[in-house]
Amino acid sequence: MIHARAEIVGNVWKIVAREGDPVAAGDAVAILETMKMEIPVVAPTAGHVSRLLVDEGQIVQEGDPIAEIDATVGA
Amino acid sequence: MFRSDAVSEVEQLPDHRTRLEDRRQERFRRVEPRGKRVHTARERAEMLVDAGSFVETTPLRAAHGGGSGVVTGWGLIDGRPVVIASHDAAVASGAIGEVMADAIMDAQRLAIRRGYPIVYINDSGGARVPDGILALHGCGGIFALNVEAQRHIPQISLILGPCAGAAAYSPALTDWTIMVKGQGHMFLTGPDIVKAATGEDVTADEIGGSRLHTETSGVAHLEVESEQEALESARLLLSFLPSRVGGEQRIGDPVPANPRAVDALPALVPEKASVVFDMNQLIDGVLDNGARLELMPRHAGSILTLFGRLDGRPVGVVANQPACRGGILDAKSSVKLARFVEFCGRFGLPILTFVDVPGFLPGTVEEGRGVITHGAKVLKAYVDAASPKLTVVVRKAYGGAYIAMGAKSLGADMTWAWSNAEIAVMGPGGAVALLHRRALAAAEDPTALRDELAAEYRENVARPYVAAEAGIVDDVIFPEETRGRMADALRMLTHSEGGPR
Repeated sequence: MIHARAEIVGNVWKIVAREGDPVAAGDAVAILETMKMEIPVVAPTAGHVSRLLVDEGQIVQEGDPIAEIDATVGA
Repeated sequence: MFRSDAVSEVEQLPDHRTRLEDRRQERFRRVEPRGKRVHTARERAEMLVDAGSFVETTPLRAAHGGGSGVVTGWGLIDGRPVVIASHDAAVASGAIGEVMADAIMDAQRLAIRRGYPIVYINDSGGARVPDGILALHGCGGIFALNVEAQRHIPQISLILGPCAGAAAYSPALTDWTIMVKGQGHMFLTGPDIVKAATGEDVTADEIGGSRLHTETSGVAHLEVESEQEALESARLLLSFLPSRVGGEQRIGDPVPANPRAVDALPALVPEKASVVFDMNQLIDGVLDNGARLELMPRHAGSILTLFGRLDGRPVGVVANQPACRGGILDAKSSVKLARFVEFCGRFGLPILTFVDVPGFLPGTVEEGRGVITHGAKVLKAYVDAASPKLTVVVRKAYGGAYIAMGAKSLGADMTWAWSNAEIAVMGPGGAVALLHRRALAAAEDPTALRDELAAEYRENVARPYVAAEAGIVDDVIFPEETRGRMADALRMLTHSEGGPR
């Protein structure tokens, strides 16, 4: 399973994708808030968001999985 | 008597010729490519330089009844001499023995003595075991000359095969390392030894492939798809550099910036300081619309480091990249930044710094990585760099990170701020929380008060005019003026009778 991962430590400010949504590579699935910056968490590959793994307001560490991307179903 | 001797020497000549031709033929047979390799060691050297310009030095040098294990020589790149040492994997897998080390050291000494860049084409299994400690002694000698060369000439390492054990340290002592994907590997201990020592089961790609070294470790600075691309990248890299420390800069014809990128500049940076944008587009609106080379594009991506030109003059560009990790500074990006600035300073390349930095990333992870030590390397690199230093704050510059991004206090020759920039000891959020703690605690609507106080802070404290009045930025400018201001400053700063200082 492919994951969209946090590239930096931060607070999950907004989840912008819903489970089942199609995504293209580079699309944001969530936005972290770190150092007053809005840092997108992007899908590494095209597919569907099969599962969201965090809640808004949650603190995540660098490398933490934020969403599962199912790449077997075309976007 | 005299006459008869002369006759006998002439009679021997055809013999000498045959013997020499035999040796040469034998030599060319030895360098057949093997395995995944596309080209022989000699072909690689020939392809690196201008067509027909490669001359091999000591082509008949031999060890163990075979070749020395390295093709050394010189040639021209864009008409300028370079020295080359190309490992010959067809001789004992390119393992470095006593004779091979001597040949490489001779090439290094030639390059240092004459002030020519040197390109090492690495393809070596490590130290040549039958040569025992003499092989290690030779490797150490190469390292010592790598260090000596740092003071004089550019050194570029291409990794076109394995570069294992002792061999891996030489590239790490050179300026820039380029790896071919799936073909170049660098590690101190290969998969077999790792398995025997710790039981860890790894592939060569996992323990020393180009992805590991250009993304995670930062050991290599560019990943390319083929041998051909590696050689072309080395030529491109050298096109931005003088042949030696103190050498003449390679000034080309001035080329205007991409007009569309210039037009886009005023609206490029989002007004809201928290929204990210792509710094590459901003740089496009300043530099000449021509050749660029970004180094370490996938390692510590919150900092961009690249070579380009401004009005034809080669420059090193350093910038925060808000599109990656918000453009923060941390331990890794500090090391990347410091190394690049140090290099530019050493070779007289003007350093253009574009600042939009939220700060140093706080937290236990970063402190544990030694961000203080690595951040200090950035400060030292800027202070030490003797080349012209120009800095422009395009949006925000807070705290210690403001200083680290080429501030006036570190010796920047000229600093500017775009008119919407914020320069302050802290960002508005943090400053308001600290300065108005009691008022916020007592407020009926703390969020509204915080927003109001933050707006006030932005207006009264963080405005670039505060910095300009204090003289720590030279001027407040419009985005579209940036190129002209920088070009004017460079003309002034590089003008010196009797050559650059």
